Amino acid sequence: MRLAWRELRRRPGRFTMATATLAVLAALLLFLAGLLDGLFLGSTGAIRAQRADVFVYSDTSRDSFLRSRITPATREMVEGVEGVESVGGLGIALVGAAVPGEEELADAAVIGYELAPRGVPAPPAPGEAWADDRLEAFGVDVGDVLELGAARIPVQVIGFVSDTNYLLQGALWVEPGTWRDVQNANRPDARVADDVVQVLVVVGDSQLNDSDLATRIDTATAELGTGTGATSSLTKSEAEFSLPGTREQNSTFNQILGVTFAVVVLIVALYFALLTLERIPLYGMLKAVGASTRQLFAGVIVQAVVVASAAFALGAGVTLLGAATAPAQLPLTVEPGRVLSTYIVLVVCAVLGSLASLRRVARIDPAQAIGGGS
Amino acid sequence: MFLALTEIRRAKFRFGGLILAVGLLVFLVLFQQGLRDGLITQFIGALRNQDSPILVYGTQARQNLEGSQVTPAQYEAVSSLAEVGRVGRVGEGTFTVSTPVSRLDEDPEERLTDAVIFGFEIDGSGAGLGAPLTVSDGRLPGAPGEAVASERNRDEGFDIGDVVRVEPDGLEILIVGLGDDLNYSVAPTLFVSWDTYVEARRIRNPDAVEVYPTVLAVEPAPQTSPETVIAAIDSITGLEALTRDEAVDASPGVSAVSQSLNTVIGLLLLTALLVIGLFVLIITVQKASALTLLRAIGARRGTLVRALLGQTLVVVSAGIVIGALLLALIAPTASTIGVRFVWSQVLGIGVVTVILSLVASWAAVRRVLRIDPIEATSTAGVLR
Repeated sequence: MRLAWRELRRRPGRFTMATATLAVLAALLLFLAGLLDGLFLGSTGAIRAQRADVFVYSDTSRDSFLRSRITPATREMVEGVEGVESVGGLGIALVGAAVPGEEELADAAVIGYELAPRGVPAPPAPGEAWADDRLEAFGVDVGDVLELGAARIPVQVIGFVSDTNYLLQGALWVEPGTWRDVQNANRPDARVADDVVQVLVVVGDSQLNDSDLATRIDTATAELGTGTGATSSLTKSEAEFSLPGTREQNSTFNQILGVTFAVVVLIVALYFALLTLERIPLYGMLKAVGASTRQLFAGVIVQAVVVASAAFALGAGVTLLGAATAPAQLPLTVEPGRVLSTYIVLVVCAVLGSLASLRRVARIDPAQAIGGGS
Repeated sequence: MFLALTEIRRAKFRFGGLILAVGLLVFLVLFQQGLRDGLITQFIGALRNQDSPILVYGTQARQNLEGSQVTPAQYEAVSSLAEVGRVGRVGEGTFTVSTPVSRLDEDPEERLTDAVIFGFEIDGSGAGLGAPLTVSDGRLPGAPGEAVASERNRDEGFDIGDVVRVEPDGLEILIVGLGDDLNYSVAPTLFVSWDTYVEARRIRNPDAVEVYPTVLAVEPAPQTSPETVIAAIDSITGLEALTRDEAVDASPGVSAVSQSLNTVIGLLLLTALLVIGLFVLIITVQKASALTLLRAIGARRGTLVRALLGQTLVVVSAGIVIGALLLALIAPTASTIGVRFVWSQVLGIGVVTVILSLVASWAAVRRVLRIDPIEATSTAGVLR
C-alpha cells in the first residue's frame, strides 16, 4: 500500500495519461448531468412548485396543458369527490415577451393560478405578475411592463420568484383573468371561456394515497359523465413526466451517462492492465520477499481510486468554471447531490476497471524474480 | 510486415477480440448516425418534404412552428407584395385522435393517440402550396375530410382506407394517400385541406373564435429570387420569412437531437481511440523483449514501426468490415426508427476510424523507436 502511495508521489507522470483521460470523461459526465438536470428542472419548475397532490386534465387532452380544458361543471364534480380538500385552477400560455429596452423577445410562460405554489406569493392584481428570475437574463427588472404576445398585452413585473419555469420558458405568475386575456388576445384559436381552466391542482386528505385520489377523481367524473367532463388525473411526478419530451430527454441522457460510465470502466481496466504488465518483474520481486497478492492488489485499487479522484477534481473544476461562465440561456445546473453521486459512481467504475488486473497479479510467480518464471 | 501478419494468425484470440471491439464500436457509431438522421427526419420530415420554397412565420414564434400564427391583415399584406407570386395558408397543430387500430385497444388510455395535422389549401389561388411532395401510394386529398398520412405509421391505423377520428367529437378523416418521411415531432402526421384543419381546431377547442394560419406558404413571382421575396416579407411588421431549409434547421428538436447523438458519437470515437491505443501499447510492451532482439540482429526501426502500423491497419480494417456487416444485418429490422445502410456514411466512418487508429498507435510507435538493441544483452532492461 505504502509502495503504491510512494509511486503516485514520486512518479506522478506515469499516471498523467489515465488522469487526463478520466478528467475529460468526468467533465463530460458532469456536463451531461448538469444539462440533464438543467433541462428537467427548467421544464418542470411550474409543476414541482405546486403544493398539489394530483393534477386533473380533461381526458382527451392526452395530459397536455395546452389541449386540456376543465369546465366549471367538471370542477364542481372534482370538488365534490371525497378526500379532496382544496382545488385550484391553472392555465398556461406560451408567448414572446417584449422587454423594455431590449430588442430580443423573451420566451415567457404566462401562468394563471389560484392556489399559491411554494415560493410564489398569492395571485397578484390583474395586469401584474411575479416573474421567474430566469427572465432577468433577458433584461427583465422589477417595475418593467412587459408586452405579451403579438397582441402586446401589458403586464407589470412586481417581483421575482425562483425555479418555477415551464418548458424552459420564464414563468410569469398572474391571476387567472390576466392569463385568459393573454391567451384569448394572442391565440383566438385556443380561446378559453370565463371560468374554464386548463388543469386543476388538487390537494387531498393527507391520509389518502395520491394515486388513489387520482383514481377516485377519474371514477367520479366518468360516472357522472357529462360528455367531455371525464378527466385524466395524474400524481405530481406523473405530471412532471407528462410534459412534452421530458421522459425521452431523461432516457436519452441517462443512456449517454451509462455509456460514458462503461467507457470509464474500460479505460481504467485497459490502463491498469498495462501498468500491471509493466510491473510484472517488480511484483514478482515483491512476492519473493513476502508480499501477498492481497497487498499488491490493494495498491492497485488505491492507485485507481487516487487517479479517479484527481481526475474527478480536475473535471469538476472545469465543469464548475464552465457553468459559472455559461450564458444564462444555457440550461446547465450543477446540483451538489449529482456531483457527489457522479464522484461515487466514477470511483466505483475505476475500482471495477482495476479488478481486471486481479487475475494477472494473482498469477505472478515469485520465481520470476530470480529468473525461474521467465 | 510478414512477422506482423504471422503474429495475427497465431494470436487469433487476442487480435480477434480487438477486431470485435473495433467492429462493435464502428457499428455503434454507424447505428447512432442512422438514429440521428432518422430521428431528425421524424422531427421535421413534414417541413422538409412539403412543396413551398418559402414559409412565413409570426416573429413571436421565434421560428417555432408550434408558436406561430399569421393574422388576416398580415396575410393580405404578403399577398399584395409584387415580389410574391402565390400565397397559401398552412395550419399545423397536434391533436388527440383515434384510429381503427387504437380504437380496438383494451386499455381505454391507449384508445387515443397524438397526431400532427397539417392543413393546406386544395383549391383557390394558393392551391397545393404546402402539399406533401413524397406521396408514394394513393393520392393527395381532393376534398375536405381526406388526408395523406405518414407512411411510417401505416400499421398504426393510418393506412389508405382507414378513418381517423379527431377527438373528442369525432371529426372523421379518410386516409387517401401515404407519403414517405412525412412525420413531424415524431408523431403520426396527416396532411388535410385547410377547411378540415380549421374544423379540427374547432373540435379541439369549441371556444375558438377564429383560426389563423400557422404559417404562409409562398411562391416567388416569376423572375424573382427567394432572397428578394424574403427581404420584402421581412419588412412587414411581425413577420419573418424563411426558406424551407432554414425552417427545417430552426425547428425545435433538430439541434437537441443532433447535439445529443453527436455527443454519443464523439464519445464512441474517443473510446475507439483509447481502446486501440491502449491495446497496441499493451501488445508492444508484451513483446518488448522480442522487438529488442530483432533490433539487435539488425532489424531497422522503420521496419518495426511499419510492421506495427500495418498490424493496426489490418485489425482496424477488419473491425470496420465487421461493423459495416452488422449494420447491413440490423438496418432492415431498424428501419422503423430510421436506421439505414448508407455507403457514404460507412466509408466516412471507416476513414475516420483508420485515422484515429494511426493517431492511437503513436504511444506504441514511440516505445518501438526508443528500443535500444544493447538491452538485448541484459535480462530486464526492455521494460521501461
